[in-house]
Amino acid sequence: MMGNKLRHPLSKYLLEDRLPHSWCPGCGIGIALGSILRAIDKKVKEGAIDYNKLVLVTGIGCSARAAFYVRFDSAHTIHGRAIPFASGVKLANPSLTVLVFGGDGDIAGIGGNHLIHAARRNMDLLVFMITNFVYAMTGGQVAPTTPTGLYTTTTPKGNPERPLNAIKLVASQNPNYVARASATHPALIEQYTYKALNMEGFRFIEIISMCPEVFGRHIGFNDPVTLYKTLKSKSIVKDKPSLDESDYDWNHGWILGEYVLRRNPGYLTTLRRYEG
Amino acid sequence: MRKEFLAAGRGGQGILLLGHVLGHAVAKYTKFYVTVTESYDAETRGGDSKIDFIIADKPEELDYFKVRNSDVALFMYPEQLVKYERLVKDNAIVFIDNYFIKEVRANRKWLIKEAPYTQIAEEKIGTHVVANMIALGHIIKVTKLVPVEAIIKSIKEVVRKKWIYIDIKAFQKGLTL
Amino acid sequence: MRTEFITTNIAIAEGAIMAGMKFYAGYPITPASDLFEYLAERLPQAGGLTVQFEDEIASINAVIGASWAGAKSMTATSGPGFSLMVEGLGFAIITETPLVVVDIMRAGPSTGVPTKATQSDVYQVRFAPHGIYSIPVLIPWSAQEGFDLAIRAFNIAEALRTPVIILSDAVLAHAWEKVRIKDLTEIKVIDREMPQLKNKNSWLNQKSDLVPPMKVFGRGYGAKVESLIHDERGWYIPNNETYRKLVWRLVRKIEDKARFLWDSVTYLTEDSDYLVYAYGSVARPAYAAVKELRKESIRIGLFRPRTLWPFDYFNLKKASMKVKKVFVVENNEGKIFREVQRHLRGKEVIPLPLIDLEVPPPEDIVDSIREWL
Repeated sequence: MMGNKLRHPLSKYLLEDRLPHSWCPGCGIGIALGSILRAIDKKVKEGAIDYNKLVLVTGIGCSARAAFYVRFDSAHTIHGRAIPFASGVKLANPSLTVLVFGGDGDIAGIGGNHLIHAARRNMDLLVFMITNFVYAMTGGQVAPTTPTGLYTTTTPKGNPERPLNAIKLVASQNPNYVARASATHPALIEQYTYKALNMEGFRFIEIISMCPEVFGRHIGFNDPVTLYKTLKSKSIVKDKPSLDESDYDWNHGWILGEYVLRRNPGYLTTLRRYEG
Repeated sequence: MRKEFLAAGRGGQGILLLGHVLGHAVAKYTKFYVTVTESYDAETRGGDSKIDFIIADKPEELDYFKVRNSDVALFMYPEQLVKYERLVKDNAIVFIDNYFIKEVRANRKWLIKEAPYTQIAEEKIGTHVVANMIALGHIIKVTKLVPVEAIIKSIKEVVRKKWIYIDIKAFQKGLTL
Repeated sequence: MRTEFITTNIAIAEGAIMAGMKFYAGYPITPASDLFEYLAERLPQAGGLTVQFEDEIASINAVIGASWAGAKSMTATSGPGFSLMVEGLGFAIITETPLVVVDIMRAGPSTGVPTKATQSDVYQVRFAPHGIYSIPVLIPWSAQEGFDLAIRAFNIAEALRTPVIILSDAVLAHAWEKVRIKDLTEIKVIDREMPQLKNKNSWLNQKSDLVPPMKVFGRGYGAKVESLIHDERGWYIPNNETYRKLVWRLVRKIEDKARFLWDSVTYLTEDSDYLVYAYGSVARPAYAAVKELRKESIRIGLFRPRTLWPFDYFNLKKASMKVKKVFVVENNEGKIFREVQRHLRGKEVIPLPLIDLEVPPPEDIVDSIREWL
């Protein structure tokens, strides 16, 4: 770096040589990644996490590009398979702090089965799912999370299907932590991440996010700010919401909050008990 | 040197275990090489159960896996005798459980050794399930394929713990036939 | 050294442990399940771990992840499961991840006959993932070779940073044989190179320019594992220069080493007029057939590759120099025949495709050969 050039406060975590990033202006993924890195930075500074033991695993999609930009170990794997790859990493070296970061299509669509089973195992992973309601990198096709009725390029008359509620799905497997945040509420992302980082077991944070280009524009929002404001107005923060409150649709919006928090032994702890 | 041994019976007659005990003894306690393949019907009981057992002094002699001209054979049940007798060569030593197999119709020059293995197992040991070990004892006594001690060690290493004593007893009973 | 009476499946498992395997992920499938079951008991005793995943897709990706976390890793499967692993295998290839996949061939296509063997996957294991690459495939003919080739497979994987396939089949899988379990003093174990930390930003700081040292996770390398086309740093750069450089290296690091990977055995070939080419389980009845024909004073020999890919044309050409005809006996419709014919241009090469769920018996091979003598 140049001598007196101002450095980004997260430059320890970001490969600045690879910036600018590929995300569109107004995209929420950068906000989410920044919030997560700030939480990690706090933990590193407290000595609770070793920087050299951090691994970020992603699949394929816009969100998955996060693996490009972090300076610590990362893997940009294949579509839907970030969770099993990350499971292998953690199982082979339990001293690593393994994070998974991906879009809703990647994590809950093509990778949905892996998501269920990792949650069921209470696998020691922290998984972030960026829900932007579409397949963005491929141009705005319908996603498992697309609210009913909305236009996408593969549902030109509106999405006839109901959206997947990943919070309920993951919670049904009784993992240790399930929360929903939003890129419109970066402080929540940072707060939940900070809490989940040093926990055992499977931790899942869904982050509602804005895709102004192939979601917002396609449904009639001509500028990112309007989409941002709309998503923000649809996000209601609640203390300890019930799982039934996690269902969402476009009209009623979604509840942000911590849906599940428990301290069961994680997979590795359980395994050690069995192996003796 | 290359010798073939075929053993066949109904599922549940312990043919596969017999193959294991014998194969383990040959592999671990003799200088010979051995190939054993098993075939059985999906049903655990009642279907065919067969082992193809080939022993040789050089590994290259163990070419084809299957028995085609068996030097020694064991038949525990009539159906399998009919089905597989074509795989047993003339002048082979053929062991028969004559408790089930009342007559050998095959018009072959075999040296037949027979005993009611299942009946002996039931009457002398107290359970029919060790008929296989009685037969094994009989085979070892006649063919001297492997030393008796090797079989006893093998039983101790292969068989589930609660069956070791009773299987050895049955094997030793077979040696007296 | 100790001697055991074990199946080829168990022998492969023991060989893998001897080579230093510490992680196994799998999904049940006939005829590979008992290899997994054996390891589930045995691998923890050797300081490793087995996990059953939700499918073969998860299994191979977990194996790739475990390898990046520093553990020598393996999975075993059969045709339908291998098909599901193909996507992950391509990922392992482009990320140059050392690992071993055991494909225990069963009769296909599709569910086929799960318990019976053919040799129908000989191209699938080499060419199934899309893209440009090469991948080593080893093929045992006995339980002993299952053990020996498992060690060799891990060594190749670690030395060349590549997935390696062990191609067994349903007959071999469950054949019980005498196996000499060598101990560590009798074998060579190769471990992957890792960059020296002081040079962590340069992948070219050691030995071969074809096999970069591996930036294993958790050691401060800032590894970039990348499924996209990438440069030395692991950065996605979609241009011809980067693409050609990467894929040519993926091909060349295997093909340039072919003469070290080739491992073929000949039997009774010194004076041969005819040569039988066979591999895996079928080479055994083929050898019996050769011996039968020799009894009739027909001068015939056997050529048997233990490395199926890269294809050993060099030793095959040598062995077939003076023969009149080459018979390719295989338990499929005549797959490797094409490869043999391609390399022995001008020579009469005859396909003997003997499809048999129980492995073609020697008499069938003898009869087929006799028709062409």
